[in-house]
Amino acid sequence: MRQPTSDNPLQDNLRIEPTPGPTTMVIFGSSGDLSRRKLLPALYHLSRGQRLPARFAVIGVGRSELNDERFRASFHESLREFAGVRDERDQVADSLASRLYYVSGDPGDPAFYERLRRRIADLDGSEGVLYYLAIPPGAYGSVVEGLGAADLVTTPARGWRRVIVEKPFGTDLESARNLNRLLHRHFAEDSVFRIDHYLGKETVQNLMVFRFANGMFEPIWNRRYIDHVQITAAETVGVEQRAAYYETAGALSDMVQNHLMQLLTLVAMEPPIAFSAESVRDRKLDALLSIQPLVDERGGTPTVVRAQYGDGWVNGSGVVAYRREPGVDPASVTETYVAMRLHLDSWRWAGVPFYVRTGKRLPKRTTEIAIQFHRPPLQIFRNVSATSVAPNLLVINVQPDEGISVRFEAKLPGTRMQLAPVMMNFRYASAFGTGVPEAYETLLLDAMLGDPTLFARHDFVEASWALISPIHERWLREKPAEIPQYEAGEWGPAKADALMAHEGRRWRTL
Amino acid sequence: MSEGRQTLLPDGVDVPFSSIAAALASGGDGTHRRADGRALMATVVAVGPHERLCDAAEALRHLGDGGVRAVLIPTGSQPMPGARVASNAIALRGLEPRFVDNAVAALRLSSLPTLVWWRGGPPETLDAVAALADRLLIDEDDPRGIWARALPLLDGTPIGDLHWTRLTRWRSLVANFFDMPEIRAAAAGFTQLRITAADSIAAALLAGWLKTSVEAGEKIEVSLADGTLGLPIEEITFGDGEQALELRATPSCTCVHTSATIRGHRSMSQYVPLGDQSLAALIQEELRIRSRDAAFERALHALVAGS
Repeated sequence: MRQPTSDNPLQDNLRIEPTPGPTTMVIFGSSGDLSRRKLLPALYHLSRGQRLPARFAVIGVGRSELNDERFRASFHESLREFAGVRDERDQVADSLASRLYYVSGDPGDPAFYERLRRRIADLDGSEGVLYYLAIPPGAYGSVVEGLGAADLVTTPARGWRRVIVEKPFGTDLESARNLNRLLHRHFAEDSVFRIDHYLGKETVQNLMVFRFANGMFEPIWNRRYIDHVQITAAETVGVEQRAAYYETAGALSDMVQNHLMQLLTLVAMEPPIAFSAESVRDRKLDALLSIQPLVDERGGTPTVVRAQYGDGWVNGSGVVAYRREPGVDPASVTETYVAMRLHLDSWRWAGVPFYVRTGKRLPKRTTEIAIQFHRPPLQIFRNVSATSVAPNLLVINVQPDEGISVRFEAKLPGTRMQLAPVMMNFRYASAFGTGVPEAYETLLLDAMLGDPTLFARHDFVEASWALISPIHERWLREKPAEIPQYEAGEWGPAKADALMAHEGRRWRTL
Repeated sequence: MSEGRQTLLPDGVDVPFSSIAAALASGGDGTHRRADGRALMATVVAVGPHERLCDAAEALRHLGDGGVRAVLIPTGSQPMPGARVASNAIALRGLEPRFVDNAVAALRLSSLPTLVWWRGGPPETLDAVAALADRLLIDEDDPRGIWARALPLLDGTPIGDLHWTRLTRWRSLVANFFDMPEIRAAAAGFTQLRITAADSIAAALLAGWLKTSVEAGEKIEVSLADGTLGLPIEEITFGDGEQALELRATPSCTCVHTSATIRGHRSMSQYVPLGDQSLAALIQEELRIRSRDAAFERALHALVAGS
């Protein structure tokens, strides 16, 4: 993983992790929401934590007619708005701002890339250049081709050129392949960083530590001891300002194909031979490839449930149905909720269902992985305890309260033998007494350091689309006039409950 | 506790030794309030004169909810044996030095590391607690005497020093410059190291680290000057004239301004936060270290050999 610069004798035994080498970060779409909300605040926090190199610069790129000064002013604004920086005389913010530059222009215009090249060459840190495509996926092509045509992607003798792309990585298998082909025309795979911010979360990284640095869990991490796995990504928000995108994507593409498949494979993967990017990603790909097709031989999708939120009540307020959201087709059949049952063809997981659900306008915002174990084979307390024995549960909370909980049975104090389930909790926020970095801080730093472990590889993306695309295709063929509705503020449609109920299981109460 | 002195663990309750476990189980103050979801991490045994332990107790109180059990052992004359418990901290008084190790053995968290935080006291007490320590952290104003006593322990017990901990940010900033090949090349010819510091021990360790780490380090001439800001380190200039690295704390003492001058051209000017330098933050950092610190040991040996 993160290795110190090998020929720097002073990095030996440094307590602050190594900083990247000289870097210039070029942000396409620098005045956009992602840049203002996440990227610029993340760079500020990295700077405060002394994680940025001494030679570092940011070049904001966009069509807006900004100059360096106005870009710097917008940087300060985003810190005030999204990073809680109130001090007008924050020297770290000022120092970082002084290393921000702006190049305006049309990404389809070759002259723009010439200006960009000159700006990069003028700056400290041009040995390493990180292009961040914080732009709509439809614009990736012209930018990547433009960078390639201007020869801004060739790795110099001393340095590197890398690119970060944001999801969605395509809209189906074919478009994902096209995107990968486009990227690979100009960047080697190890220079392409496909960002999935879920992977930057501490708990997600800790999942690997939990599984592979502890001897006690791996022996029971299989079909002999595990009854089933539930993965939930619930949002309280609706479609917000993303209607144009969401109408073409839906929950299946927006959440399942990327975030939830990443979480599932981290749970299901075999132990890697080392904690190296390739080894970890190879094993995740194996797990993904072992998932049985979700469309059956007759072309049906009996293990997938979709629905759309209707009018309802969330967080103390009435909310409108998806079809009444601004920018949404009043007859839209786009799914805002998906639940599915998956089976993996592997010795470890044969017969163990993985239930995955995600939705908007659900009662609470939470993302978690719940691993439910088999009940004890013999219920020896059934004649003395009025309560039945609840199965053991291991819950990995991804957000918002990152941590791990274990549910086990305990005897209630008293003269009677009465059992009750109790939860033992580990919470990142309190356990170590230090703050948890934002996912974008971790991921930006890893990209600068050239560590792709927490990024999606091209073959994973394609395999994930290969799994998901047939469902989309099936739904397109069906073209239903209606889609099942669920009331906003409820836990999805009844059919999602039925998906588990007929196997004698039910969704965890959250 | 004797009158006229600050009380260790003022929120705590006095209990006999035999009741310490029960007092801890009840939350220290009998309220049975415990932090939810607390993962226990380590035991910190702080040893030192009463006045210095009050600072330590305050720092450890900040870490208490982070899963640290604090055992405070004042050295010097104590009126009568006893214990005081607050939350997850225990202050022991009136212990004979020969029984300190027994007390620590009884109170430390099972199967978790024990950090001994040495803030001064009879050397024989150090021998006793060091045997129970997974790491020994020395924290005396002038630690040179205790270093000599501690060095033979190195093979069995990793040792650190808080003067060294205070250098972390500074070392990292200097090291960042050396990521650049042109700086490394230029630095091979650096012969002057000027350090302005209020903490001469930290300054000497910093000099020892650089001399033992960089190429041709033995040729480096070190000059130390007293600081005026009250920071352990205030300014570092490594190099001379046309080529030098400069790091200078800002008057607010919250940031460091860094820059490099190579072939007369000044670049890489930036402000970097000095970070939290509170005692609690320093101990927090030390709790993350679980093994021997080769860089510190090299610096320490260089300093001891040079003194």
